Amino acid sequence: MIEILFYLLSAITLGSAFITILSKNPIHSAIWLVVCFFSIAGHYALLNSQFLAMVHIIVYSGAIMILMLFTIMLMNLNISNEISKPLVTKIVATIAFCLVGLVLVSALTQTAPAFDAYVNSGQDYQSIQVLGKVLMNEFVVPFEMTAVLLLMAMIGAVLISKKDKKIA
Amino acid sequence: MNTLIALAGLAVLILVLEIINLRKTIVPLTILGLLAALGITFCDVQILSDNYNNMIVETNFSKMFSSLFIVITIFLVAMSQDFYKEQYEKISDYISLKIFLLIGAVCMISFGNLTMFFIGLEILSITLYILAGSNPTKIKSNEAGMKYFLLGSFASGFILFGIALIYGATASFDLNTISNAILNPETPNFLSLGVVLVTIGMLFKIAAFPFHFWAPDVYQGSPTITTASMSTLAKVAAMATLFKIHAIFESYISEAFTVLLICLAIVTMFVGNIMALKQDNIKRMLAYSGISHAGFMMIALFNTANATAELFYYAAAYSFASIAAFAIIIAVCKNYKDEKIKHFKGLGKQNPMMAAVLTMALLSMAGIPIFAGFFGKFFLFDSALQSGHLELVIFGVINSIISVYYYFKVINQMYSQEAISELPETNHSWIYKTVAVLAILLNIAMGLCPSSILNLF
Repeated sequence: MIEILFYLLSAITLGSAFITILSKNPIHSAIWLVVCFFSIAGHYALLNSQFLAMVHIIVYSGAIMILMLFTIMLMNLNISNEISKPLVTKIVATIAFCLVGLVLVSALTQTAPAFDAYVNSGQDYQSIQVLGKVLMNEFVVPFEMTAVLLLMAMIGAVLISKKDKKIA
Repeated sequence: MNTLIALAGLAVLILVLEIINLRKTIVPLTILGLLAALGITFCDVQILSDNYNNMIVETNFSKMFSSLFIVITIFLVAMSQDFYKEQYEKISDYISLKIFLLIGAVCMISFGNLTMFFIGLEILSITLYILAGSNPTKIKSNEAGMKYFLLGSFASGFILFGIALIYGATASFDLNTISNAILNPETPNFLSLGVVLVTIGMLFKIAAFPFHFWAPDVYQGSPTITTASMSTLAKVAAMATLFKIHAIFESYISEAFTVLLICLAIVTMFVGNIMALKQDNIKRMLAYSGISHAGFMMIALFNTANATAELFYYAAAYSFASIAAFAIIIAVCKNYKDEKIKHFKGLGKQNPMMAAVLTMALLSMAGIPIFAGFFGKFFLFDSALQSGHLELVIFGVINSIISVYYYFKVINQMYSQEAISELPETNHSWIYKTVAVLAILLNIAMGLCPSSILNLF
């Protein structure tokens, strides 16, 4: 059952990713990307990572896709005027990508799964409770630094959008 | 950790000062706060001695580089007062962003855990993206911000992917666990893939060949004070971090990758210097010279055991010379739209003091004795010889000779050409002069007694 679901989800992920790249209309690409993100969230759920799946749907399918659609619409990119790259660029890009893919695949196929046998620890490591405890104990400094990062990004957004008094 | 907390407090304090209408006191108070932070860092005041699960590791290395970053930031903040005079209502944002930049840099070199490294790197880079594009009415600044953001996020993506692979291979973000796992022969092979990806990302951040293409455009388009922080603070922070990461994984990476890195260091020096020969914009020229300096600093990577003090000395010498040069460039080019080298014509007669400081800064970068730049190169070459990399020394010397040409092009313009512009006598702000003189004095002091710096390690 799970195997069938996995192959189904993988087919949807790959298929929608291909259509995202190949479709001429940017809006269609964005919508197909949503499908792709949802199916990746499905993969997370299959791996028993409910929290990650939810966050993925909220952040990627929700926030980031809306941002992308807004950008496309605001900048009037939906009129497709694709600049076709010269053939040499395409060939070089394909070769470079194949080489990177070869390295990644060959490195990752050598890996053995870290755990051969599953041990039931009796604790649900996917629960938000455990995650919160880890964040607040072991990883409290990075957690606080992320707060600094967000504060800084906010100040930056204000700085760029603030009007100069002289021009206004 | 104490440094980080003090700096974060300072950054928030600046924002509060803006709210309670004390805008005039921001710059002096920030400089005082930074001096206090420098004291805390340098004298190793331990108010909190918890090491927070090894997230932040305070070593002599991190202490010295943090102190250097704080000194550089003091200079940058001091120059901000006059530089942002026309947008004075934004001064608190600019100053607090500079402090955040410093927090990112300190976080990057004192990390004990790869999560801290990545967050520090992001704080540093995102601040720079904002500062590069912080002049939205200028098309060049927009271009710089956009280019830096797009390319920089790719580099961050590489680093994140690399960290994920390292985590996959060693099951930890912690540096101690990772360095133990390296010695374990059962560690999967793709650890090296992760190390390579992280190194690539860091090479982008220091603008080494072949990841240097962003540097000239971004340096030219950004507001000059941002260019100064990029070429000093950001470059040195990224270089020191690359050195730290390289030292951890040195025993693990293959011989071929070391050879590749040596070639990259040599080509970086050549590309930077040869491209700088033809530039007519001084910011672009300094961008290329910064690329070649990154190549010089990469020499330290091949003798990680003994080159820490040498790298610090070179980085400090380069930063102080750069700060002095940029202070003069800001002062001279304030009334022009761009930063062409021809604006410097006749500066030797109009303003001998500023011309002399710029000359000394450029001579230090070229590596002429008494200035610290010479001894920096000397020590780095010495460390390369100790580790048996004669080829690095040969190419380094050739490049030093090439670089003399374009540095002297500017000096020649200042002294042997008449001024062409009939600009009214500009009243250069005393702040720039003070910063430039102080920076160059620090540089000369380092050159006169190099052992005082080297003995700190």
